[in-house]
Amino acid sequence: MDAKTQKYDRQLRLWGNSGQDALESAHILLVNATAVGCEILKNLVLPGIGQFTVIDQGTVTQNDIGSNFFLDFESLGKPRAERACELLGELNEDVKGHWIAKDILSILKEDPAFLAQFSTVIATNITRETAEKIAALCWVNGQQGVDINTIPAGKKKTAFVWVKTVGFIGAARIAVPEHTIVETHPDNVADLRIDTPFPELIAFTKSFDFNTQDGLEFGHIPYVAILLKYMEEWKQEHGGKIPSTYAEKNQLKAAIRSGMRSADDENFEEAINSVLRSCQPTVVPSSIKEIFNDPKCVNLTSESSSFWILARALKDFVDDYAKSAGLLPLSGTIPDMKAQTDSYVTLQSIYKAKAKQDIQEVSKIVDSLLESIGLAPGSIPLQEIETFCKFSAFLKVIRYRSLEQEYNQPKIKQIASWLSDPDSIFPQYVLLRASDSFYDDHGHHPGEGENWEDDVDQLQGNVNILLQSWGLENDTISKDLTHEICRYGNGTIHNIASFIGGVVSQEVIKLITHQYIPMDNTFIFDGARSVSAVFAV
Amino acid sequence: MVDTETINENERWAGVYKLLDRNSLIHPEFEPQEEIKEFIKSCKILVIGAGGLGCEILKNLALSGFCDIHVIDMDTIDVSNLNRQFLFRRADVGKPKAVTAAAFVNKRVQGVTVTPHYCKIQDKDENFYQEFALIICGLDSIEARRWINATLVGMRDEDDPDTIKPLIDGGTEGFKGQARVILPGITSCYECSMDMLSKPTGFPLCTIANTPRLPEHCIEWASVLEWPNKHGDRKMDTDDPKDIQWLYETALARAKQYNIQGVTYSLTQGVVKNIIPAIAATNAIIAASCCNEALKIATTCAKNLNNYMMYSGNDSVYTYTFEHQRKEDCPVCSNSATKLDFKGDKTLEEFMDYLKEKPDIQLKKPSFTLGGKLLYMQAPKQLEETTRPNLAKPLKELFASGDEITITDATLPFSLQAIVSFL
Repeated sequence: MDAKTQKYDRQLRLWGNSGQDALESAHILLVNATAVGCEILKNLVLPGIGQFTVIDQGTVTQNDIGSNFFLDFESLGKPRAERACELLGELNEDVKGHWIAKDILSILKEDPAFLAQFSTVIATNITRETAEKIAALCWVNGQQGVDINTIPAGKKKTAFVWVKTVGFIGAARIAVPEHTIVETHPDNVADLRIDTPFPELIAFTKSFDFNTQDGLEFGHIPYVAILLKYMEEWKQEHGGKIPSTYAEKNQLKAAIRSGMRSADDENFEEAINSVLRSCQPTVVPSSIKEIFNDPKCVNLTSESSSFWILARALKDFVDDYAKSAGLLPLSGTIPDMKAQTDSYVTLQSIYKAKAKQDIQEVSKIVDSLLESIGLAPGSIPLQEIETFCKFSAFLKVIRYRSLEQEYNQPKIKQIASWLSDPDSIFPQYVLLRASDSFYDDHGHHPGEGENWEDDVDQLQGNVNILLQSWGLENDTISKDLTHEICRYGNGTIHNIASFIGGVVSQEVIKLITHQYIPMDNTFIFDGARSVSAVFAV
Repeated sequence: MVDTETINENERWAGVYKLLDRNSLIHPEFEPQEEIKEFIKSCKILVIGAGGLGCEILKNLALSGFCDIHVIDMDTIDVSNLNRQFLFRRADVGKPKAVTAAAFVNKRVQGVTVTPHYCKIQDKDENFYQEFALIICGLDSIEARRWINATLVGMRDEDDPDTIKPLIDGGTEGFKGQARVILPGITSCYECSMDMLSKPTGFPLCTIANTPRLPEHCIEWASVLEWPNKHGDRKMDTDDPKDIQWLYETALARAKQYNIQGVTYSLTQGVVKNIIPAIAATNAIIAASCCNEALKIATTCAKNLNNYMMYSGNDSVYTYTFEHQRKEDCPVCSNSATKLDFKGDKTLEEFMDYLKEKPDIQLKKPSFTLGGKLLYMQAPKQLEETTRPNLAKPLKELFASGDEITITDATLPFSLQAIVSFL
């Protein structure tokens, strides 16, 4: 094992080499070396992102070193960006760090295409105006002056992540036009097709002698064969239909139970335990049908990403009933079960062979699709097609709402419903929004000064204006909560920064690796109550 | 360059001090007082584990204003720790975690003293644990958690509130984790929730020996059956790449023989060391939750978690906060015996295997007694030999249904009283 594999062993077990490669080619921008910002970078530098850049125009204060582990006593008075970059860079010799001690807005004024070099932009504790500006540039990727074709595929979008902590409250927001995931890491990918067996599977079942006198042999008939035998018998007696009602499923269970010779036949127990799941008809899930009907799937162009080309190939495969029986490619994975080695290995190879056959069909379609849009056949590697087929029932497309939509086209009905739940922590979202307005009005954050309680009424005014803009009553948000925000006085609590830093770095890892499912779109944590929620605002 | 005197405590801790200086309408029972600030500076806090969670916990406590922190850990630093244990560098590999972590935090955060204890938690006695205001655990071992939990529950004297040592426990696996607050004798304890754990992974010996199907079966065969065959009394060192290589090659040869695919070096290591995937991000989340609760408990500036929060990041971000209930027949924090149901015609050995696997019991080497009568003793050797024949006997020959038996295990600091009813 090489040194890198040794160092990254515990994470490679989660996202594999493909995920690691994606991380290593990522360049992350952090706007503002805040406590939460440095915590996020810590959790990304450690697993080995390629590069990071810290932008911060400020110098290190006493308050900074009280809440930020990556600014120390010796940093006092020095540029925050420089010191944060140095102390974060020490965490991993394989990661390259850069720093710029300037204001982000002035950088963007000089070079609107500046953000296009980054895979992800993380902006912490910024004003609403700055957030909107950066988010909008990430959304179109600062296209002015940039030839989009010179940007390598997969880097065409810069994900934007907004992060804020105030006292016990932390929040994060993801905005990226479209995020596609193949490796969603579902708990179980087994796909046994007991309801729609293919010929090789039926032949396998028939190879077992259920009347055998050999107890060991009987006790080792794989449960898939047992289940199939009884399912086929059931179907013959019921006009080819599988059990659908609860009573029918119990009848099938009883039939299997009647075939047991002793109460200890584990293989029969396994078969009985799998009845409920096997009686779920194998179909194309509605979420996948939605992907098939997506205009990006229907209308491929030479600009289409491999995800959409593969999705289209999958659709064409499913539509070709002779080849697919209208089903997705087989995953080819089976669970462990009580069985002799030989029969288990045989069963495994039957499923694998069928999966391989499906992959070959999809692969042929992929090549002809590539050709039809003017791309070279074979330009999507077989391994990528295999992974896509294996997880085809679990593909995911997330289209985020932009910050512009959040601010200008609020989901009023949804907001009213979130606020009607007395346990909801949506009020914290409203208070963060109102705090931004308060800052615009007063030039300081709620509760920042000595006479902090004087800000409560004014902040409540900002809350009410926001509520009114959504057509909601004034009293929806308790004044106790507004008072609480002023109590925090825009202070940083390291634990909250570290919690949000952990959450955001998980989300960034998911965005970069295109593995696991990131949240859509705003996460709120209230450390006073130790509760959190995600809202698609 | 500024000298130490220029540190302005009020500016430095402005974030935390606002919480402590200002009243709250949400937590009206909280009364701001200067003594609270003094308390977090002077109280002693113990961190158990200086690994992935421990490094984070030490940092968080230091930046919460706690100044007298102790850390206990028996491990040394391994290369595979470096992807998340951020207080360690490549040059530190091989050094004790507790010592290295303490030195780093002491250097980075002025005014904080972290005292390392490079030893097992079992090496310390009640007098040691009695000194701390609260204890935070960042462990990956069930056994160690059960030990500290039982020890702290046992230390509680109902008439002396100072003997209640809040225990905050965190754990992670991949993108998931949990944080909880245990008030010994008041809330549910670690032992109360043993049934939430999944069955300990292990494969039946007959599968490993006769009908291997998975690569894991071949690896278990190599480590459990083939190793003692080929190496006699020499104990396997799972940290030694040579031993892992031998296991890998042996497992691979067996897999080839049986036509089983998927034996790799990495899987071999994963199976024999029972490796749990771990990343910095999840450790940060769980450690921060634990320390947030520590700050709330120590200062009362907000209500603490009551008493369990689960976190999952696999699909979106999801937390679930709930009150885990005490178990009425908890062998540690209740005074009543645990109730077990088992067939009376099964043997004591089968009963023992059942207890090893049962998630809420998970014994390693249990001994059984009935009143003064020894049913089976793991040690000393002589007693083991004289009681061994009982293992093959059905339970109903050894005691009657409804009898209360005592089960002890070297890994547990308590004995389990169990009423066994025959099915």
